[in-house]
Amino acid sequence: NTADADTDDRVLDRFSVIGSTVNGRLVRAGGAVGVTLLDWLREEAGLRGTKEGCAEGECGACTVMLDGRAVMGCLTPAARADGATVVTVEGLAADGALAPIQDAFIRTGAVQCGFCTPGFLISCAALLEEHPSPNPEQVRLGLSGNLCRCTGYRAIENAVAAAVAGDAGAERP
Amino acid sequence: MGVGTTPPRIDSHDKVTGDAQYPADRAPDDALWAKVVFTNQPHARLVSLDVSAARATDGVVMVLTGADVPVNDYGLTLFDQPVMITIDHTGASDVPCDVSRWEADHLAVVIAESVETAEAGAAAIVAEWEPLPILSDIDAALAPDAPLLHPENGEGTNNYHSYRIRKGSMDEGWARAAVVVEATYEVPYQEHAYLQPEAAVAYVDDEGRVTVEVAGQWTHEDREQIAHSLDLDLDRVRVVYPAIGGAFGGREDMSLQIVMALAAWRLSQRGETRPVASVWSREESIVGHHKRHRGRIQARWGADAEGRIVAVQSEAWLDAGAYNYTSNKVLGNLHIGQGGPYEVPNARIDSHAVYTNTVPGGAFRGFGGPQAAFAAECQMNRLAEALGMDPVEIRRRNTLRDGSTFITQTPMPDGVTLPQVIERCAAESGFATGPDAPTGGTGRPSPRPFSPFASLPPSTDALRRGRGFACAFKNVGFSFGFPERCEAEIVLHGDEGAEKPERGELFHAGADVGQGAHTAFLQMAAEATGVPLDRMEGRFSDTSSSGDSGSASASRLTFMAGNSILGAAEEAQKAWRDGDRPARGRFRYVPPPTEALDPETGVCNPNFTYGYVAQAVELTVDVETGHIVVDRVTSTHDVGRAINPALVVGQIEGAVAQAHGYTLSERLRVSEGRVLNPRFSTYLIPGIGDMPAEINSVVLELADPRGPWGARGMAEMPMMTYAPAVVAALHDATGVWFTEFPLTPDRVLAGLRSASGVATTARADTAP
Repeated sequence: NTADADTDDRVLDRFSVIGSTVNGRLVRAGGAVGVTLLDWLREEAGLRGTKEGCAEGECGACTVMLDGRAVMGCLTPAARADGATVVTVEGLAADGALAPIQDAFIRTGAVQCGFCTPGFLISCAALLEEHPSPNPEQVRLGLSGNLCRCTGYRAIENAVAAAVAGDAGAERP
Repeated sequence: MGVGTTPPRIDSHDKVTGDAQYPADRAPDDALWAKVVFTNQPHARLVSLDVSAARATDGVVMVLTGADVPVNDYGLTLFDQPVMITIDHTGASDVPCDVSRWEADHLAVVIAESVETAEAGAAAIVAEWEPLPILSDIDAALAPDAPLLHPENGEGTNNYHSYRIRKGSMDEGWARAAVVVEATYEVPYQEHAYLQPEAAVAYVDDEGRVTVEVAGQWTHEDREQIAHSLDLDLDRVRVVYPAIGGAFGGREDMSLQIVMALAAWRLSQRGETRPVASVWSREESIVGHHKRHRGRIQARWGADAEGRIVAVQSEAWLDAGAYNYTSNKVLGNLHIGQGGPYEVPNARIDSHAVYTNTVPGGAFRGFGGPQAAFAAECQMNRLAEALGMDPVEIRRRNTLRDGSTFITQTPMPDGVTLPQVIERCAAESGFATGPDAPTGGTGRPSPRPFSPFASLPPSTDALRRGRGFACAFKNVGFSFGFPERCEAEIVLHGDEGAEKPERGELFHAGADVGQGAHTAFLQMAAEATGVPLDRMEGRFSDTSSSGDSGSASASRLTFMAGNSILGAAEEAQKAWRDGDRPARGRFRYVPPPTEALDPETGVCNPNFTYGYVAQAVELTVDVETGHIVVDRVTSTHDVGRAINPALVVGQIEGAVAQAHGYTLSERLRVSEGRVLNPRFSTYLIPGIGDMPAEINSVVLELADPRGPWGARGMAEMPMMTYAPAVVAALHDATGVWFTEFPLTPDRVLAGLRSASGVATTARADTAP
């Protein structure tokens, strides 16, 4: 895509400002070189919904969407977002209306401490984009990059099913 | 909607939109940053400390050392830990402050304009150390020539705390025994691995209070320890919990609380009013906070020909690490759990906590109970095997019931429902109940093929199936005479002439660590006052607005908070009827008293109530690769009354996951006082694909006579029985008893290859 081509031609230094469409809004901010996309989002773009759990790409709490793909924000250089489109947990709801997967997380009890939730929601969104009606194996594969220490994952699997099924979906017994 | 329903969690909307603020999210843009410098010395004496270069580093605002700490000791139950290691002893504490006993002892706090400059300042600190012998485990610490890690306690040994139980006559017990089983169990460390690493923001608030926003489990105890070390009055310190990213016992002790309060206080004395923030990395979190205790339990049990327990002899050692934290209390739980949830006529039990130069042991879901239950339930399953008896039947014959005398020689509190829990679990899991039912690995449905990795075709020839059973009790609430209490305040608003309040407020300090406590509190407050749930507002977890709730621990919060809320509602309703507008009700709930263990015999009434659990596990093991897949777990609980049924199931499923990791994959490697794998890439907690294929959560509601609406605590219970149930299932599948875990493939293979069945990989844990 053209954004990639533009990025390839630029040499970024520590004074560079990058521009990125974050949650539908153009964000131009400096401090992008030598930092991760996670830190740039949290500290420069002011979006603190995305979390750091391990800083080595194991826990997935920092998962964001970069040009439609779920990536680990803690391992992605911020400069890679120059000219790209980023979606964070703050961008899932549209005009105050929760996305079906957000609503499903609430209804199925997939939220406990909530620290892993932003990353899981983005991974779920990416999963549902690729497989609008995923089978259990696709769910496990799609969410295998995210760790949760509270729920035991069952409620999160139920949330995906509920989001697929809509309002009539799998509520907890 | 009130009690018994499942409204959405009050915090879930903010948690799915990213609006929920955890401590690290609370740092304002102008915040200063603090770097806590660890000594990195498992055992060494500080010879010199030079922070002048750190202070001179660009961007560094202040460097704090032990010389800045008014009272340089702290601790949740014993003041045995310096806030910072220092040569300059203020004289206000008994602990020698110049010795680092743990690699994560604090040496300094560097406060700077940014994370980077704080790091640069930390790197400029120069410390000179005189190495001391590192007591790397219990054996080293108990060696006759071992140096004393805490000579100030006057014990003369590193075994600084012990308990005894002497009940009945062991000679008589052994004389009646038809079978005797004996084994030594090694139980491993476990890391809490909450997803939110430690973080805090500290400042002096508008009313002059040193304020710390942090994730903890007990606001008022945090405040107490801060006030102690800073030598401030309690009302000059404030602790606030924003959203908490998991705890599981791991936030019960201090991490950033005291040093960040100190930082804010010293900054304000210099006229610096900017808040100061600090966030630990995952490595700092795992190195720098306590763990579930590792330990050793030697158990010898006897039963008569009918399967009745006649004697229990048991001795246990816990590696307390460098400081006590809650080890003396954890040890108590371990102590009284070693006889299992059974009637034991004759018992001799000794339990010891031992200081070493390793990471402190402390609170973690189950609080000593899982270690005890591992030994006790393995012993029970071995007795069943020795007698050729069904594992459910032998429990049926020995279980504590109403009217039973506990191992501490006092009556069990009313409402002992373990017999019903055992029966329900056996029925739900299809576990055999008759003597002719198969107990071996044969005659089961074909195992589901699996292989260790996707490209290797599964080999069904190597798969063996087995199933195991275990049950346990766990105390609800603080034990052994601790002054247990919980406070609540309810305010009812409405017009003077109105019959019913229009809305209500609940003030409560109880911590919502992720379990959903605040939602349950509001449900109970709505139920108790008749105010609709959506018009009951919560003001939570701030020492400036609430009384002391006690901690989010010991499966106590629903029980204790519920009773405090019931009392406060009654008071508020009385005020309402008296015409007060708003009508205020405050209440401090105090449960029935408990007692400390008698030092010679252990006689006491240790707890005011218990929760009960039974689990059945079915698994498949590949005997060629050592891989285990858990096919089904039936986790059966008496919760008394499910205040919020979905939250209850969430606790069961989450605790099963945590127990699954404890049993199968989580291996913390500690060598020469250092944690070798402080990362999620090397310390493996279960992911979504590692989970049991089926978790059947079975909830009974048999009212606790003392519980609010009959509720019992339940959040720790699934942790109690999983490891012994898995070991029993593995034995059922392979004929081999394992005495240590986690049951990683290498350990399973080694165990299967060893004729005796004793795993041979124990030393691998400590190899560099």
